[in-house]
Amino acid sequence: MSGKGIHIEGLKKRYGDGDTAVHALKGVDMQVAPGEVVGLVGPSGSGKSTLLKCLGAVIDPSSGRMVLGDEVIYDGGWKVRDLRALRRDKIGFVFQAPYLIPFLDVTDNVALLPMLAGMPNDEARAKALELLTALDVQHRARAMPSQLSGGEQQRVAIARGLVNRPPVILADEPTAPLDSERAMAVIRILNDMARQFETAVIVVTHDEKIIPTFKRIYHIRDGVTHEEAGEGRGFY
Amino acid sequence: MISLAGRDILHSWGKFVFTGIGLGLLIGVTLSMAGIYRGMVDDAQVMLDNTGADLWVVQQGTQGPYAEPSSLYDDTYRSLLDMPGVLHAANVTYLIMQVGHSGHDISTMVVGILSGGPGQPGQPRYLVAGRHITRSHYEAVADITSGFQLGERIRIRRNLYTVVGLSKRTVSYNGDPMVFIPIKDAQEAQFLKDNDALIQQRRRNAENPDFNRPGTGDLLAAVNASQSANTYVNAVLVKLKPETVPEDVAEPMRHWKRLQVYTRTQMESILVDKVIAKSARQIALFLVILAIVSAAIVAFIIYTLTLGKIREIAVLKLIGTKNRTIAGMIMQQSIALGIIGFVVGKIIATFWVPIFPKYVLLEPLDSVAGFFAVLVICMLASLVAIRMALKVDPAEAIGG
Amino acid sequence: MKRWPLQGRTLALLTVIVPLLVLFIYVALRSGPLAPVAVTVETVETKSITPALFGIGSVEARYTYKIGPTVAGRVQQLHVHVGDQVKAGQVLAEMAPVDLDDHVRSQESTFKRAGAAVREAKARQVYAQTQAHRYQQLFIVRATSEEIVTAKQQELQIAEAVLSAAHEDVTRARSDWEALVAQRSNLHLIAPVNGVVTMRDTDPGTTIVTGQTVVEMIDPKSLWINVRFDQISAAGLAAGLPARIVLRSRNGQTLSGRVLRVEPKADAVTEEMLAKVVFDTQLESLPPVGELAEVTVDLPSLPAAPVIPNAAIHRENDRMGVWQVMNGDLRFTQVKLGASDLDGRIQVNEGLKNGDQVVVYSEKALTTRSRIHVAEHIPGVSQ
Repeated sequence: MSGKGIHIEGLKKRYGDGDTAVHALKGVDMQVAPGEVVGLVGPSGSGKSTLLKCLGAVIDPSSGRMVLGDEVIYDGGWKVRDLRALRRDKIGFVFQAPYLIPFLDVTDNVALLPMLAGMPNDEARAKALELLTALDVQHRARAMPSQLSGGEQQRVAIARGLVNRPPVILADEPTAPLDSERAMAVIRILNDMARQFETAVIVVTHDEKIIPTFKRIYHIRDGVTHEEAGEGRGFY
Repeated sequence: MISLAGRDILHSWGKFVFTGIGLGLLIGVTLSMAGIYRGMVDDAQVMLDNTGADLWVVQQGTQGPYAEPSSLYDDTYRSLLDMPGVLHAANVTYLIMQVGHSGHDISTMVVGILSGGPGQPGQPRYLVAGRHITRSHYEAVADITSGFQLGERIRIRRNLYTVVGLSKRTVSYNGDPMVFIPIKDAQEAQFLKDNDALIQQRRRNAENPDFNRPGTGDLLAAVNASQSANTYVNAVLVKLKPETVPEDVAEPMRHWKRLQVYTRTQMESILVDKVIAKSARQIALFLVILAIVSAAIVAFIIYTLTLGKIREIAVLKLIGTKNRTIAGMIMQQSIALGIIGFVVGKIIATFWVPIFPKYVLLEPLDSVAGFFAVLVICMLASLVAIRMALKVDPAEAIGG
Repeated sequence: MKRWPLQGRTLALLTVIVPLLVLFIYVALRSGPLAPVAVTVETVETKSITPALFGIGSVEARYTYKIGPTVAGRVQQLHVHVGDQVKAGQVLAEMAPVDLDDHVRSQESTFKRAGAAVREAKARQVYAQTQAHRYQQLFIVRATSEEIVTAKQQELQIAEAVLSAAHEDVTRARSDWEALVAQRSNLHLIAPVNGVVTMRDTDPGTTIVTGQTVVEMIDPKSLWINVRFDQISAAGLAAGLPARIVLRSRNGQTLSGRVLRVEPKADAVTEEMLAKVVFDTQLESLPPVGELAEVTVDLPSLPAAPVIPNAAIHRENDRMGVWQVMNGDLRFTQVKLGASDLDGRIQVNEGLKNGDQVVVYSEKALTTRSRIHVAEHIPGVSQ
């Protein structure tokens, strides 16, 4: 479902106390509109993983404000009681590696999320099939993940990320292991899905191949972001 | 919701079944060990049960006839028959002997019983082949574990006995098969020396001027005869009239007849606490150790299985699976493993038990207790693994 | 729509799990207390049985003669060895006479002397008689005095008395002499009957006392077996019953005999009855005295009655009975038993009838709650 995208204000994250404290995020501001795909670029140690983890409700920020969709999820403290449900329903994750559950077939891998939310199995599987079709891997619906090629697995992973129609997708180096053709395919899919389902997508990457495709890029350095316009080559 | 545990099992079913069989062997061994312990105690109890006796009358001041040697005159039983409450009293002798069979010896307990009266205390209570002893000499009923066949002639001391009947579960407290022979033969076997010793004895008597006086030729013969006659038995088994309190009969016997008398419970306590105590404790201790080790291994296996799924658990956590669901998956798997292990273990134990040389008693209650123990161990082990699983930081799924 | 996506795998798993479960259920039902107890069953038949009594005994000689001297002395000579056949009256041994021969001769002389004394007395008596008669004649013609006649009468009486005494002396001396001769012949040890020497305990030169045996002999025709029967199982033992004898050294050979008599005195200590059993025919080679023998005495056959094997009999508390199978159910039937034979068959006087089914062998002790399953034979018993 569509929402108002992602809105982050003054996000700070500090590890440890006193003199040995590490300030991973020193005040991050980000906006991403629904349907938009932005890049998040920065060297390692710059805090981009930390930012993603905060956004993914995996770690607690120290201070700041985060709005996902139309819900304030963090404002000086978590405003959402069930972070797990938040992750399950509101955030879609796409990782470097597909991280598919090896003992579930493709359909069930994707249908797992809605099943966890309580949806009846048949309905969940139907939904999964929709997405698999959208990503053009429906012919592998019954296969086990180990039987798929790398690209197919990645597409299934994306389908899983999208199955609940979350307002936000966080993609962490989704193209790192792929060659340029496949990398382009993934980015194209992300853009298509973002547009189709009005999802706000943040792609953390340092892959030179895809950076030019972003219209907007956030650079992050030393815990602070600044926005930059990208080349936006490709998909609009 | 699908069963994550079920899917995982189906996916790597080979590993699962294999692990289950491994667990099963371990559980089977533990169940068998418990059975060995119980069998040992049962051997002692069944020996007491088989005598059909309520009281054991033995030599005063001894804890015989099993824990210590005991000798009574063989006419003692007559005075016991008169006592109120006594239904039957029968002489019995026990002697552990090596009996010749097919070229080698086997260790047996030779029991001297009255022939011709089925149902007397001391006789085997039921047979699996043949018949009871009818002749007063040279017939035997043997336990089936002795390996003797019907019609076979076995040698006990200087006589040959024909095996006329076979019995089952008639074993000594040691698990040695019993061989029942007529009591007069048993008395002779127990107390009569071998020929060389007899010749020596006769020679010594002949050289003794007290026995070998001129003019009293019969004296020497009488002395020789008396020294090679045996009028002793090891115990008298007494069966009481129904509804008689054993101690009521035992106490007067001890007091007036100058004999030692044990009731069933006292005899059992002597056997279990003294005679088989060390062996039983040995096995009990090993059983405890084995159970602990088995529990530890089961726990370790469950733990390791879960360790191998850390990545999936992290992903599941990250994509929003409830802790409860993940915990449930691990717990279900470990319980399923436990059940398979137990089933395999019980089957294996039942099938390999007959090859043990001594009796192994697999009590159903032990199996039930074992089943629940396995379940509890699996659950506890999975709890440890779950704790570990839940501590996994889903953030690990995201690059560091 | 129910999907079963993993056909192959599920099937594979089921092929493992299902047999496992089946085995498990089998194990649960077939072992432990749920398992039925295997038993064998026999039908009670009306048969006539031949009870028999069994006892062991030793070969003995009916008459054993222990031959020895009636006075102490030394053995001079032995004429026989163990195993020799002797005839009645045969001299077996001789004791040393020592001075007995001299005593005999001395006594003979005394006898002869007594005879001489008789002749002397006779002579005197004749003379005295003649004198008495002569003086009587003289008295009649008044040629002598009455006093002398009386004296001569008295002399005659004295002489007659002395003759009488001398006669008695002879008798006495002869008796003494004959006594010594008899004693002398007593030093010959003589076989009283025909027989065989079984023991020769002393050798020449040994001093023995009165009553000590020098030679023992038996009449081999009088061998019998002294058999002991347990009192508990000796009912019906009587003289005249046929017996089968197996000598210990001749295992496999059964000899026939019969009970000669049952001893009026039994052995109270060993609780056995004693009987004497003789062989029907004289044996070619005699068994040595003391050899053990197993004797089976056949009692007369009993009329037909329901018969069961003794393995079927059990005692529950104080009742003797059998486990009867009726319509597949087990119940304990009390019975009164009758006679039994040596093969383990016992007659039932009360409690069972022809056609009843009784449990003979069982795997375990039975109780009224036991579940049974009838089999041909008990598993584990080789045929």
